[in-house]
Amino acid sequence: MEQTKLIDIQDVYKIYNEDQENEVRALDGVTLTIDRGEFVAIVGASGSGKSTLMNILGCLDVPTYGEYYLDGNDVSVLTDQELSKIRNREIGFIFQGYNLIPALTALENVELPLVYQGIHGEKRQAVAFDALERVALEDRADRRPAELSGGQQQRIAVARAIATRAPIIMADEPTGALDSKTGEHVLEILHTLNREVGTTIILITHDIKIARTAKRIVQISDGKIIQDRPREEAVL
Amino acid sequence: MNLKQAFKMSMQSVTANKVRSFLTMLGIIIGVAAVMILVSIVQGGNQEMEEYYKSLGTNKIDIYAYRYNQVDLTEDIMRYCMTIPDLVEGFTPAGTAYTTVRYRTANTENNQDFGNPQVYLGNQDFAVCNNYTLDSGRDISYLDCQRYNKVVVLGSKLKEYLFQAQDPVGQQITIGGQRYEVIGTYASVGEGGSYSWSYDYMNYVAVVPYTCSRYLETYGPPSNFVAKATSPDTLNEAITRIGSYVAGLVPMGTGDYSVTTQQTWQEESQDANRLQSMILGGIAGISLLVGGIGIMNIMLVTVTERTREIGIRKAIGGSRRSIIVQFLIEASVLCGMGGVFGVVLGYLGTVIAGKLLLQMEEVLLPSAGLTAGALVFSALLGVGFGLYPAIKASGLQPVEALRAD
Repeated sequence: MEQTKLIDIQDVYKIYNEDQENEVRALDGVTLTIDRGEFVAIVGASGSGKSTLMNILGCLDVPTYGEYYLDGNDVSVLTDQELSKIRNREIGFIFQGYNLIPALTALENVELPLVYQGIHGEKRQAVAFDALERVALEDRADRRPAELSGGQQQRIAVARAIATRAPIIMADEPTGALDSKTGEHVLEILHTLNREVGTTIILITHDIKIARTAKRIVQISDGKIIQDRPREEAVL
Repeated sequence: MNLKQAFKMSMQSVTANKVRSFLTMLGIIIGVAAVMILVSIVQGGNQEMEEYYKSLGTNKIDIYAYRYNQVDLTEDIMRYCMTIPDLVEGFTPAGTAYTTVRYRTANTENNQDFGNPQVYLGNQDFAVCNNYTLDSGRDISYLDCQRYNKVVVLGSKLKEYLFQAQDPVGQQITIGGQRYEVIGTYASVGEGGSYSWSYDYMNYVAVVPYTCSRYLETYGPPSNFVAKATSPDTLNEAITRIGSYVAGLVPMGTGDYSVTTQQTWQEESQDANRLQSMILGGIAGISLLVGGIGIMNIMLVTVTERTREIGIRKAIGGSRRSIIVQFLIEASVLCGMGGVFGVVLGYLGTVIAGKLLLQMEEVLLPSAGLTAGALVFSALLGVGFGLYPAIKASGLQPVEALRAD
């Protein structure tokens, strides 16, 4: 029997203002499967629907039509509680705008997903500190986001995403707000994770150069997948 | 996520905006303090009034009985009262005469403050019925009345005027031109507060055997009497029994009588006070409610302001419930802290109001029930008014919340 895919979406639509004049089809019948340990780049121009796709893959949004199986489970029937558990344990997010909580220190930001996991005290601090060490920011643990550079903030966000050791990391334009050198550093961390821990990485970007670092490239345009090939065969 | 964590996170956000948190709490602080101070003042006033009533003598029955042929009814009614000791513990005539009292050069006619004292015509039960207690010497006895003895017991204020620090017992004083021997003094009744003026008059008295009325300028035998019921429970039955007995003494057309109690209007005025305290408490409660709405307003603003934070929390695993709990605890912490500060302010305000407004001798403090009530109410406000913003915050789709600026 065929082993279940990690991520399996079938004929997914995301339609805003359906059946009205200003109907927008952000996703227009997307079918995509991703296996464990893959490093996939989803590439497309702005407005192509790639962020909508990531939001649906990350359970941050629900499709209008279509099916989504995460690790063989139908996501559409899950409750809010179960969905939060999936976002907490299965997926780590890295956003373009970092999305750190300004009132908390770097360490507290990294601890946050562990708080929702119910891990307490010293153990939680140790795990969070470990994650900060992986992004080489252990000496900034007690700083607030406003006291850090953009690159450092994004590395904090990466630390937060990897702290729970989630099997999937979704990164939405993780280097978009960074200069090329710090961007490379963040990408390097993702590659190391993929290589050494086997974390599945889904990288959303409009930058072809960055997309080319992935093993597999999925190109999306007007809500449809127009290309899905290994890096070596991709035409960009 | 457990409650301790949620509480810690709420405290982080409360302390992150100290000024705003304080201004939000201010509504609750003022509300709680106002409720406590206003209700305490009314309660303090009631307490004073109750003490005043007690000093007047509780369970008192006023008897008026008079016959046209001027027969003295005192002995008859007294004997009857002695047959019902379970209901009545004392009976005394209660006539009065205003007259000059002199001791050597001290003359009450020259007293600028009080003038001539009230001279009561009583018997051995006068002190019991009117709540006086003996301070020195002895009280009037049954034999004093029988023998028309010219003896007198002085109230503390009158004793002070006539004798200052000297011991009056055994001294001769002049009442209405006749010489009386001072046989005792009564202890001072009541103290301070808004009723101090009344208390002074209650202490500026002299009591002589009622049979001495013949020496004083009063007309006929005593017609005013006071009986004291053994307890509030026996009061009504005592009134009925005495009433029917007196009715028999004064048949239709031979005179006039009435048997009443002051207890009724005392109770009525206590009811009025209770109403007053409820109205004042209600007004203060409205200000507390307004404070609560202020908190809801701030929490709504906070939710809007922190939509992005809510989005982040949901994206990394915060469930609907944990978001509700977090915002609910935040609101409760604000209200709870406001409540605690309000209670402190309320205590201070009550103590000051007790001194300045009521001029009470002892320190006026809010009752424990009132304090607990104010605290619980403010915490409930926090939960109540925190609930709507919390539900609003938790209902957002993560992606929508993340899109907010």
